[in-house]
Amino acid sequence: MSSPSLEYKQDHWVGRFQAMASPCEILIDSDDQLLAAQLLQAAQDEALRIEHKFSRYRQDNITYQINQSHGQAVEVDEETASLLDYAQQCYELSDGVFDVTSGVLRQAWKFDGSDRIPTQQQIDTLLSNIGWPKISWQRPVIRVPAGMEIDLGGIGKEYAVDRTALLLEQIAPISILVNYGGDLMTTKARRNGQGWIVGVESTAMFKKKKNKTLTKTEFELLQGGIATSGDTRRYLLKNGIRYSHILDPRTGWPAKNAPHSVTVAAGTCTEAGILATLAMLQGKQAEAFLKAQEVRFWCQR
Amino acid sequence: MQLKNKHKPVRRGLALATASLLGVPVVNTANALQPSSEWEVDTSILFYAETDRVSLAEPIIRARKDIGDDQFLTMKLVLDTLTGSSANGAVATGSAQTFTTPSGQGTYTAGANETPLDDSFHDTRVALSGEWERPLGASTRAIFGVNASTEYDYQSIGVSATFNWDFNQKNSTLTAGLAYNADTVNPVGGAPVGFTPMPTFPSVKATQGTGLSKDVGDLIIGWTQILGRKDLMQVNFVYGNESGYLTDPYKILSVVDGTTGDTNSYVYEQRPDSRSRQAFFWRWSHMFEEDVFRISYRYYTDDWGIASNTVDMHYRFEINPRHYLEPHVRYYAQSAADFYHTSLIDGQSYDNASADYRLADMTDTTIGLKYGVSLSNKSEFSIRAEHMLQQADPSQVIGNQSAQDLVPDVTANMLTFNYTLQW
Repeated sequence: MSSPSLEYKQDHWVGRFQAMASPCEILIDSDDQLLAAQLLQAAQDEALRIEHKFSRYRQDNITYQINQSHGQAVEVDEETASLLDYAQQCYELSDGVFDVTSGVLRQAWKFDGSDRIPTQQQIDTLLSNIGWPKISWQRPVIRVPAGMEIDLGGIGKEYAVDRTALLLEQIAPISILVNYGGDLMTTKARRNGQGWIVGVESTAMFKKKKNKTLTKTEFELLQGGIATSGDTRRYLLKNGIRYSHILDPRTGWPAKNAPHSVTVAAGTCTEAGILATLAMLQGKQAEAFLKAQEVRFWCQR
Repeated sequence: MQLKNKHKPVRRGLALATASLLGVPVVNTANALQPSSEWEVDTSILFYAETDRVSLAEPIIRARKDIGDDQFLTMKLVLDTLTGSSANGAVATGSAQTFTTPSGQGTYTAGANETPLDDSFHDTRVALSGEWERPLGASTRAIFGVNASTEYDYQSIGVSATFNWDFNQKNSTLTAGLAYNADTVNPVGGAPVGFTPMPTFPSVKATQGTGLSKDVGDLIIGWTQILGRKDLMQVNFVYGNESGYLTDPYKILSVVDGTTGDTNSYVYEQRPDSRSRQAFFWRWSHMFEEDVFRISYRYYTDDWGIASNTVDMHYRFEINPRHYLEPHVRYYAQSAADFYHTSLIDGQSYDNASADYRLADMTDTTIGLKYGVSLSNKSEFSIRAEHMLQQADPSQVIGNQSAQDLVPDVTANMLTFNYTLQW
């Protein structure tokens, strides 16, 4: 574990560390260095705790235990139970578009920028191992049939952002911005009554520079969360078609005509993340879907 | 209302689920962002031209600003420039007819077998309105509006309030609104006394003064329902009441011989001093994969005896994500007002009378096509061309009048350019 760095900028402290395969940043609206260091440490601990607990790359956590249970009942802790309840609610709300059992598709889809597209046969085989309703979830006991797995990673980073923000808010009732790899949450308005200036990162911005007035890359985040779902880094390219890493659990294929990235602002980072993912899966209809949700969003096509 | 709910809104359910996951109260999304300048500006210009009659140019600028906390301010400016001729109400005859202008300062003439048109018709109207939209609690939104308009002979000022209440997980919206307008009419040359003869220039008409008032109140009750992912249904009911000076001060009627139908003189029209009306409106919007179909039906009736039915259809073809084409068809049919008379019979007495063809048995057919293009995800340009045909029937054809086209068809063409920009 690398030690976090702390730096003072104009009127706030910026703490940085690495977690969940992303650069993590905590902006602290205070001049108190000791407090900033304490908050940063708490943030890093929390991020690593959540990563450790829910990462599907580890063999010593609850996710591994559930996925290797071969249909045996596994009793889970309170936090995992809450996330499973949440996964179920998201599945129901999205009519099956958001499904934490869809992770097995990664056995066929390797998003490494290459042109290796799986065959339909491969996908069909995996599809029989997908579907939240096939899982028995009776809090606190889960039974996952052999061959199926759950992956809470789809909401893990956003959840970690929200959890960290809540934890830091308890330590110090000041304005703090948590930023894990571009997914953000802020606790409250800053001392000067303003929000944090946040930029929507995008590759498409360059194209639009000609149309100066149409680009709005920066805005002020007073309260709430922002999350981005996109394929700017993780994708496959074949015959000129770009396959997004967001896979549709109903078809086993990436959403067609999805935006390059979708950024959503909502009450919490987790909520924003789900909305961004659901929007990606709407493909061509991403913008229309988000409009119907009456949230602020940015789609890059 | 736009078909913005073709997708199932999941946000509310999701916000609740997330709040429960994190053990926090539901956070109002609206507070998430403080936009420093979220503007939406809509500019359009309409050109309307009736064949041989009135033409109108109408630029509109509308600006909507997100002022934060889910509140919006909208300002709208409309300019109308009207020129051309308008039917004065008298019927065509076999010989030329001369009329005194409304101001009493001159005359104009209609040739034999021509529908008399008053060509002194020029006006510019400026209308300004403002709206403030804000949430009232978690599921109710209120829109408060003010409006004022002025033209040479007409001033209007009004206020309105509309409340939208969402329920059934935002799948249903109940709307209730009230509007009130106080208008003042200052007719050129004064308001003529109904049924008094149009004087022969340079004589002056009898007037009932100027600065006559008109009050208009409207009540609307509406219901919008999302039906699954693809359909949206909307119904509303409007009750309106008008009172005061509802007469058109520039319109006259021909007084004709009851047997020959020949015109003997002209008198000023007079309408009732109150009108109460009801309208029922239904609209269904269906979303296909990308295209959208909208159909609406409206039934209107008032105590002037007018009843009308309107059917309106739009189909929006999404050619590709940037371009769309939208054909439009509208059919309107109304029955005549009780006091509509194409001409009056000499010697008979009437309580009220008007020869305004818009109060006659009438149909109005409009067809149109709109093309829209997204110039970016923040701006859109559209152009719409429409053609309208109005056909009205005379209330009665007497003697020699059968040689005339008493209520000629009116055709009009409309062209609208629209540009919307957000930043």
